[in-house]
Amino acid sequence: MSKKSKKAAVKVKNLVKKYEDLAAVDNISFEVYEGEIFGILGPNGAGKTTTLEIAETLRKPTSGQIEVDGLDILKNTWEVKSRIGVQLQAAGFYPDLTLVELLKMFASLYQVEIDPIAILKKFSLEDKKKSYFQKLSGGQKQRFSLATTLINNPKIVFLDEPTTGLDPQGRTNLWQEIKNIHKMGKTVIITTHYMEEAEKLCDRLAIMDHGKIIKIGTPHELIDELLKTGFRREKEIKKATLEDVFLNLTGRQLREE
Amino acid sequence: MKTKSPNQIGPLLAIAYYGLRAQLRNRATVFFGFVFPLMFIFAFGFFGPSGASISIGIPENGQSTAIYSDISKIEGVSIQKGTPADLKRELSAGKLTAVLITENGSGDVKLLISQANQNQAQVAQSIVSGVIAKENLSLAGIKDLPINLSVEKVAGRAFKFIDFFLPGMIGFAILATAVNNTAFGLIFLKKTLVLKRIFATPTKGLTILVGQGMARVIVALAQTLVIVAAGVWVFDFTLIHGLFTILLIIFLSIIGLLAFMGFGLFIAGVATDENSVVPLTNIIVFPQFLVAGTFFPIENLPAALQPFVKILPLAFFNAAIRKITTEGVSIDQVFPQLLGLLAWSIVAYIAAARTFKWE
Repeated sequence: MSKKSKKAAVKVKNLVKKYEDLAAVDNISFEVYEGEIFGILGPNGAGKTTTLEIAETLRKPTSGQIEVDGLDILKNTWEVKSRIGVQLQAAGFYPDLTLVELLKMFASLYQVEIDPIAILKKFSLEDKKKSYFQKLSGGQKQRFSLATTLINNPKIVFLDEPTTGLDPQGRTNLWQEIKNIHKMGKTVIITTHYMEEAEKLCDRLAIMDHGKIIKIGTPHELIDELLKTGFRREKEIKKATLEDVFLNLTGRQLREE
Repeated sequence: MKTKSPNQIGPLLAIAYYGLRAQLRNRATVFFGFVFPLMFIFAFGFFGPSGASISIGIPENGQSTAIYSDISKIEGVSIQKGTPADLKRELSAGKLTAVLITENGSGDVKLLISQANQNQAQVAQSIVSGVIAKENLSLAGIKDLPINLSVEKVAGRAFKFIDFFLPGMIGFAILATAVNNTAFGLIFLKKTLVLKRIFATPTKGLTILVGQGMARVIVALAQTLVIVAAGVWVFDFTLIHGLFTILLIIFLSIIGLLAFMGFGLFIAGVATDENSVVPLTNIIVFPQFLVAGTFFPIENLPAALQPFVKILPLAFFNAAIRKITTEGVSIDQVFPQLLGLLAWSIVAYIAAARTFKWE
């Protein structure tokens, strides 16, 4: 991304979230620039989801500041909610409603007018429009969840581990969907613990552990920095990975019933 | 400066409408809300003590007498035929109230009564002795009786068992919907993260609660109407003032629902998951269901218990709805019961407000 357009879409300053004595988020600061895909990486329990949910106005910070699209999330909570798209780590939808009903319901909650079929089409779900959410496969659920982030035409989209539990075909497909969202000009913030995903998708990354951000940079910068310390992989890297082999053998076609 | 919170009418209606749709697709809601109360009504309506009749066994040889024809004309008495030995066996088994044996040769008759049900035996005895006295007089040729008994029927309401039972079923259905659906509904929304996803939209917590409440009011109305309709069509349930009584029943159902929902909210706050909801709702619903006038009048309970049972929330509701359906009084006559419900709902909503957590 070009240097001059570095306006912050999300600005996090000295954010702390404590649960009793445990600091789930321990004084972190970072910025996400407009138009980039920003990844937050870390093992389970690192504080990724907590950070994301505070920015999404779903949790209150213990201390610190977050600005989303220039708005303080504590002072302008309602405005922030209507400017962001949110995908939670798991479901979040009435299992007994159809996809069209769910889209209409969320459109009413965001107080916007939508064309549910057009949205489903964008995510190749139009033949599932009358299916109940609970009848979808894992990949379809994640795609639908992604689709709902666009209902209110947000500027910034938060995705919490969108590909966890998907098969390689599902994951590759979802990456494409995320790239499409990015192409619409939206800023995307994504958490993951798959390094490959981070490398393929993200413009910049923050690596978190134990509630702290230990590194921020582009994937290349982070790798180069490691190499500079003299680090070398034990084995010579081949020009393809096992995943390439797998996808080459089984094809990229989505496997969904 | 905080930004103003957005208009909540649209979200409110969306939550009520889609919450209702989802709820009606849930088999448990439909079963406990509609099928369960109807099953009770049909079970007790058909097999219940409504036709608590006196059955008297009369062997074939006694069926040509005038006594037999007089007894068979009496309403509420059913006559069983059979050999004397068979009838006696049924009497000892408690299946018959009495057996009337005509002694061969003489005109004397012998009445065997069951010890099992003293009250019914008494009734059977007075019926038979009345019939025999009348026969004796006519056989003796006495026409001008010194004392004439004239019985005048006062236009009393025919009080059927369904008239007692059905209002109790409405009470039960409303209580179960208010407590179970509210508690399970909120826990379900938390567990499926629907609540969290909704909170990511510009929708307020109160909007969600009120919207859910509206969906429940509609379910409760449907339940009440289904129960009343089944009662009227199948069992001839008495609607004293017709449509007006139905309106009062509906009004009372909404009041009851709103009052009982406080308990559901309280449980949703205390419970951590669905498993802990079950015992809590059972504690609130089932004891009341059993004692607070659903199946039998509270007056049938031991006197020492009655004052405590009478102040239960469901007892207030049942008392109010029965006054309206069986006594035909207007809503102002049930003011004390409504006050009782109000007191309980204040307690419940305060408890709910203290325990309620969104997460």
